[in-house]
Amino acid sequence: MFNNIMFATSATETCDHAARVAFEIASQYKAKLTLFHVLGVPSRGYSQMVRDVKTGEDITLDGEYEAWVVEEIKTHYSRQLKGYENVEIKLAVGHPHREILRTARKQNPDLIIMGGTDAGSDLSTYKRTMAGTTLQRVAKAAKCPVLVVARPAASFWGGISSIVFGTDFSKASNAAFDFAKKLAVDLKGELHIFHAVDISQLHAGKPIDQDEIEIQLRDARNRIRGRYVKQLEGIPIYSVDVWEGVPYVEIVKYAREKQADLIVMAHHAREMDPESARLGSNMEQVIVRANCPVVSVNRQAKD
Amino acid sequence: MKRKILVIDDDTNVVDYLVTLFQDHGYEAVSASNAQDGLSVAQKEKPDLITLDLEMPGDWGPRFYRKLSQDPVLKNIPVVVISGLSGIEHAIQKAAASINKPFDKEDVLKVVNDILA
Repeated sequence: MFNNIMFATSATETCDHAARVAFEIASQYKAKLTLFHVLGVPSRGYSQMVRDVKTGEDITLDGEYEAWVVEEIKTHYSRQLKGYENVEIKLAVGHPHREILRTARKQNPDLIIMGGTDAGSDLSTYKRTMAGTTLQRVAKAAKCPVLVVARPAASFWGGISSIVFGTDFSKASNAAFDFAKKLAVDLKGELHIFHAVDISQLHAGKPIDQDEIEIQLRDARNRIRGRYVKQLEGIPIYSVDVWEGVPYVEIVKYAREKQADLIVMAHHAREMDPESARLGSNMEQVIVRANCPVVSVNRQAKD
Repeated sequence: MKRKILVIDDDTNVVDYLVTLFQDHGYEAVSASNAQDGLSVAQKEKPDLITLDLEMPGDWGPRFYRKLSQDPVLKNIPVVVISGLSGIEHAIQKAAASINKPFDKEDVLKVVNDILA
């Protein structure tokens, strides 16, 4: 299922947990793993300068510096590189999201893996509850699924065996379902299909009619049965659940309840300009809050 | 009646050490060297507490825990994670406690005593 994985990394602690996942998936699938690092945006002056990720200093960009960065990356991931050798290190200069997408177009990976946002010393609630712009832009525009490990808690421990697929019944959700199902079959894992009926809007100004909520719950269960359950042949353990609440909260809670190793969700705004696009608020909040990696799928996976 | 502790770890030195430690302090102790055997032993012995390594051949600790929690008889057994990996407090959210290797025997005993008190 995965032959060519791209791990976009800052090669700092922020990405360490994503690295654990990247190396583990790559070795499980014997896939080629590309460690991709963007050096930064060069100045337009006489000499190209970039800001070093670790030190924050402006550095003259030349072959010597690039070789040093490659060595730094090798050192940072030395333990993982000892255990898995089918790894290539690639560097680029520019805006991270553009370079990641540009290289992904060339390399055609079947999965991009990214870490969380490096908030630096900014520990504000805003920083901790918003996905970074690079992540947002890559997840929106990538032609393959993007797996995000935003929190240390979200790095999985011993592989994927329980997958939660969160659906909003959009067209893009069909692609996400295909991805989740394929992975569950491939790994002989459990697949838990979940939908949250959004009652957050209903709170605004009027009491919620419980009958209405229960009708929506029943409708959603029937839609899941009609659309997905009949396709679950080959998956020995699966479940279907519909809860009401704030969707991202319910998905995170549900994944915790199922002890999920992975959440698969779709977003469906890829027609938007990737430069200005944001992830859907539910996807973004699930990414930053989930206790397992989250895969964002925005189109049908390639075979 | 002695309380029973199941030690699951693929490192025989750790298993021997913990089993002896628990036996010396009034507990009955049984062991398994991997998750699969651990589940069989748990089903047979019905321990009062399980100490669980995370990284083991075959199923890792979290997968063992999922299977344990799907068993109606075993699902409420408290599990103490003992591992040398970093960030182990995140690995099994419903674990009763987590202890980093290398560990101090007093710390292990305190955790176990407190849970089984």
